[in-house]
Amino acid sequence: MSGVEAVHSRHRFVAAVTAALISLTAVSACASKSDDESSSKSTENAEAITITIKGDTVDPNGKRYDLDLNQSVTLTIDADEAGELHVHSKPEQEIEYDAGTSTHELSFDKPGIVAVESHALEKTILEFKVD
Amino acid sequence: MQFLAHGVGGAKDLPIPAEYAIAGACAALAVSFTVLALAWRTPRFNTGEPVTPVPVRLASALDSVWFRGAVRIWGFAFFLYVAAAAVFGKDLDTNPIFGVFYVLLWVGLVPMSLAFGPFYKAISPVRSINWALAKLAGTDPERGLRDYPSRLGYWPAAVGLFAFAWFELVYPFNAELGPLRLWCSIYVAVMLVGGAVFGNAFIEHADPFEVFSTLVGHLSVWGRDGDRLVLRNPLANLDLVAVKPGLLAVGSVLLGSTAFDSFKGSNWWTRHIQSIDQNITLINLAALLGFMAAVFVLFAVATMLTGIHDGTRRSQLPELFAHSLIPIVVGYFVAHYLSYLVEWGQLTVIRLSDPFSTGANYLGTGDRAVNFWLTYHPTFLALTKVGGVIVGHVVAVVAAHDRAIKLLPKKHQLTGQLSMLVVMVGFTVGGLALLFGG
Repeated sequence: MSGVEAVHSRHRFVAAVTAALISLTAVSACASKSDDESSSKSTENAEAITITIKGDTVDPNGKRYDLDLNQSVTLTIDADEAGELHVHSKPEQEIEYDAGTSTHELSFDKPGIVAVESHALEKTILEFKVD
Repeated sequence: MQFLAHGVGGAKDLPIPAEYAIAGACAALAVSFTVLALAWRTPRFNTGEPVTPVPVRLASALDSVWFRGAVRIWGFAFFLYVAAAAVFGKDLDTNPIFGVFYVLLWVGLVPMSLAFGPFYKAISPVRSINWALAKLAGTDPERGLRDYPSRLGYWPAAVGLFAFAWFELVYPFNAELGPLRLWCSIYVAVMLVGGAVFGNAFIEHADPFEVFSTLVGHLSVWGRDGDRLVLRNPLANLDLVAVKPGLLAVGSVLLGSTAFDSFKGSNWWTRHIQSIDQNITLINLAALLGFMAAVFVLFAVATMLTGIHDGTRRSQLPELFAHSLIPIVVGYFVAHYLSYLVEWGQLTVIRLSDPFSTGANYLGTGDRAVNFWLTYHPTFLALTKVGGVIVGHVVAVVAAHDRAIKLLPKKHQLTGQLSMLVVMVGFTVGGLALLFGG
């Protein structure tokens, strides 16, 4: 390529890199601003949740609840037979419940999406968005 | 991914905040059109300029039989160790084979290949066995009974990658030892038979892990100039990906399956799939195929919507541009699997000390604890995810731009890129939306 062209293409290269950097700065600027707003919640905050397990059906059916870090939540389980729930937190937890009504306390010390599942039914009963 | 039976799943990452997703989408849009408007108008990559050789001493050490052999033996020893855990270990979540297969191998090969080039090729146990069998038979491992049919290209690898994605994301018993053993046995068997018939060329085109690793390795600085080991700008290195049939299929399977994995973890999908009385496995399979097909068709159509030279065949354009999907795939991998790799990777290293679940501590890692730093810093994690997706997008746009300038007639060089740019922005915005909606 000729000298003039080389200079032009160099300018274009510099311009492209500059534009990329500006865009990335914009991203991080927006990002750091949003830290203050992280407490705004989209779904309802949970303190007590009732889970009903009858035969093959379960309620709630995969609903997501908000939960603060280390905030405890009470699960009231109303089941027609005894069973086990898997809580996919870090580390994993298990809840064993008897037939009839029982209550169980849960809390989480790490942010993330925690699914509560019944493996026998192969269903996600609910999820916690912990942050 | 979620391992139901064995609970290797754990908590998932928080969705990224909306502001990050929007800012990332804006950045992708801005950078794309900036590249289109301002970037170079004559091809820059691999246009005959001199390459940077690796210093002679380092190059000869790296290419020495000793170094190559040591790496290969390490890889094979690791393979035997893990195979022993798979064959003699217990069907428990403490068996390290699950973490080795889904985390260290599948996700870990991306950073290893980014850092070292074609990493899996260097350690590949199937290449080692093929080599040993050829030596025993007194033949050349490079050559088989016949030549590898070049029209097959990377299609066998695309099939293999699909087999992996199906097993990981659709098959309901993917966290049980028996099916995993079977999958791995079929993999090894197919590679060895193919290697015997077609030589190493088969493994080079059909081994899903090697093809994935070697393609990602094109984003490293390591390259070859003839036989010489050289250092290259990763963009120039990417430009040297061999264009063969099936390259777009490989990219589509990788991108589509990663996107589906993210989609499958969303609360929306969880709630809806549980409310329908259909075979969930079939629906997941259809959705997985749908994601892959969508990537394939969108990309193929976008590359063909351009004016071309008389001598160019329009139908060849998708494969000629398909290398630009690789950085997008890598960006998605970083975004979707970073915390997974770091945390389950640590857990796997811990569990590797006790391959038979007997309480042993063979490697001395058994009493370590997982460091959850990434989980405790969701803002950093979210920023890294958006950054990964955006960097992948930018590299892809630049790679496609340079290729367009090489291939398209002057007057179509800009307009011919528009449709591809729109599709790439679509992939990136879609990826960010999945990270946001997860």
